[in-house]
Amino acid sequence: MVLGIMVLVALALILYEQQTAGFYLLYGAMGVGFFVLATNVLSLIQREGKQDD
Amino acid sequence: MIEALNIPPVLVYLIGAALIPLMGRGRARKALLVAVAVIGLACAFSLRSQTSWVVPISGFELVFLHADRLSLIMGYIFSFIGAAAIIYSLDVVRDTGEYICGLLYLGSALGAVFAGDFFTLYVFWEIMAFSSLGLIWYSRTERAKNAGMRYIIFHLFGGCAFLAGIIIHFMNTGDIAIGPVEHGIGYLLLLIGVGVNTAFIPLHTWLPDSYPKATIAGAVFMSVYTTKTGVYVLARTFPGAEVFILGHPFHFVAYMGGLMALYGVIFALMQNDVRKLLSYHIVSQVGYMVAGIGIGTAIGINGGIAHVFNHILYKALLFMCMGAVIYRTGKMNLTELGGLAKKMPVTTIACVIAALSISGVVGFNGYISKGMIIHAAELSHMHILALALMLGSVGTFLSFLKLTYFTFFRRTDAEAVADVKEAPLSMLVAMSVTAFFCVAIGVYPKMLYMILPYVDVAMHYDAYAPGHTAGTLQLLAMTAFMFVALKVLIAPHERVTYDIDYLYRKAGRGIIWFCEKPLMAFANAIDGVLKRIADSLVWFSKNPAAASVILLTTTSTRLMRPYTSKEAEVKQLKTIEEPRERLSIGTGVLLVLLFFLLYLVVMLIHGWLAP
Repeated sequence: MVLGIMVLVALALILYEQQTAGFYLLYGAMGVGFFVLATNVLSLIQREGKQDD
Repeated sequence: MIEALNIPPVLVYLIGAALIPLMGRGRARKALLVAVAVIGLACAFSLRSQTSWVVPISGFELVFLHADRLSLIMGYIFSFIGAAAIIYSLDVVRDTGEYICGLLYLGSALGAVFAGDFFTLYVFWEIMAFSSLGLIWYSRTERAKNAGMRYIIFHLFGGCAFLAGIIIHFMNTGDIAIGPVEHGIGYLLLLIGVGVNTAFIPLHTWLPDSYPKATIAGAVFMSVYTTKTGVYVLARTFPGAEVFILGHPFHFVAYMGGLMALYGVIFALMQNDVRKLLSYHIVSQVGYMVAGIGIGTAIGINGGIAHVFNHILYKALLFMCMGAVIYRTGKMNLTELGGLAKKMPVTTIACVIAALSISGVVGFNGYISKGMIIHAAELSHMHILALALMLGSVGTFLSFLKLTYFTFFRRTDAEAVADVKEAPLSMLVAMSVTAFFCVAIGVYPKMLYMILPYVDVAMHYDAYAPGHTAGTLQLLAMTAFMFVALKVLIAPHERVTYDIDYLYRKAGRGIIWFCEKPLMAFANAIDGVLKRIADSLVWFSKNPAAASVILLTTTSTRLMRPYTSKEAEVKQLKTIEEPRERLSIGTGVLLVLLFFLLYLVVMLIHGWLAP
């Protein structure tokens, strides 16, 4: 919900000629999405359990 | 008086390390440590730009004190955080040996940044590697022992590459002064040597492997010196370095920095061990410094060095805070921690300040230097690099929201933290002073600008330009909202994380198998052949004349086999006897003398004895 609202705010700012402000908000959302996706993809090759080296 | 003497700070710490064993374990040891911290700090801050302490050895001029703006700023921050780490360790460290390693490590790092030639730098570089190994091994656990072995193997490899690069550079130029290196194999080897210490991907694996296993105080020391000395040498030798790929110049170092910034954050986000999380963030933050140096412009180098300065402050502070948490709770995993804010309020505030600083939040020191590097990338039209570094900031903030929330603010069973107390006074003093400087530089950045290598360029940089400030706030506000929304996905898990070192370990096992099986079999076969040849020579030398007869008889019998009967062959072979010594010692000596006589005659004929 919060995510959706923030993305909409960012898009609205870009549309209403506040490109810089909209860009940073959108980039923040995309950035978090990128990291969540990356860690979840990498989780596929990780093993559950205690780190013991 | 100290200013007049211009003492290299390394001497203070080396003398301190030598005196520590004489002080026992009581107040005398603490007094000496505080004295070493204060005198070392005074020595570093009293230095002025100069080149002195030049020692001629075997035709080389080794320079032990080369101070300019770049080495001075490194000297200031190294000695300052060294003093803070010493104060922090007063109530934690029991072993005198750990203090010796810590002081040697700190001293050799200062020796490296004030070295004026490559050979002096190399010597201190190696002392750093071995003294820091002690800080890992003093944990006295099996994990620490194994990680220490992997750590030193990596650093010996890097040291060899570094030394080979230095020798090739010297042979090509005849110069050992530290400075930019010409392209070629020496350039590549030096870059690999520096890359190991600077944790270039994929040479970084020693860092998150070893730092979490160091002692509590040892990890604070280690978070500061090795990688930052690497960045310093990078700034001296490879500013704006390019590598030619298919004939086109490529800002390899700058983009390596961008890769490190992202790679470190992604792996940090997956960690459960708090110190392993911080270790991956060292890789990421060093990436910003490497990017700044790799851009190579005045503002880029300023940004890189400013980030070294700021990073040392907040990263040491983070390791101090997590060390205090581990010291008081005995737990180091996020899944086991939580609810410590009320029990350890000063540690919590210090950790939040450090987290906001490393995340580049407006008003804290990380914001100043990160902004400078991103600005430098934009000015150099490296827009992809600038975007990568901004993305790194998002990940860093996300990661430290996770660290602080799950360590201090997450609700947990009250009984689990009932016995937890605030950290000891010496720890709190060190953390508070370091946290103060994180905020002070953020609020008044000119105190940092004044000591940067290019002071004029720094003074023209406006850290609080409205557009940059607003943009950063929006970026981080969105990240915070997203953390709240996606907290479940980012929550820590108990898992074994595999990095590139998984491949190194596989390859290592393969090499061990190859050495133990096929290589040993080959060596044994060679050994057997040589042994048989040696046996034959011994047999022959017992009586060469008789042995020659036996060999001739055996060979002729075998050659004649198709034309003779079996009985005749057996009869022939029965006549062969084992060769026995038939010559007296005197005859043997005569033969040797004859051999030498022959040798002399040959030499005289060829004029080999002529002068």
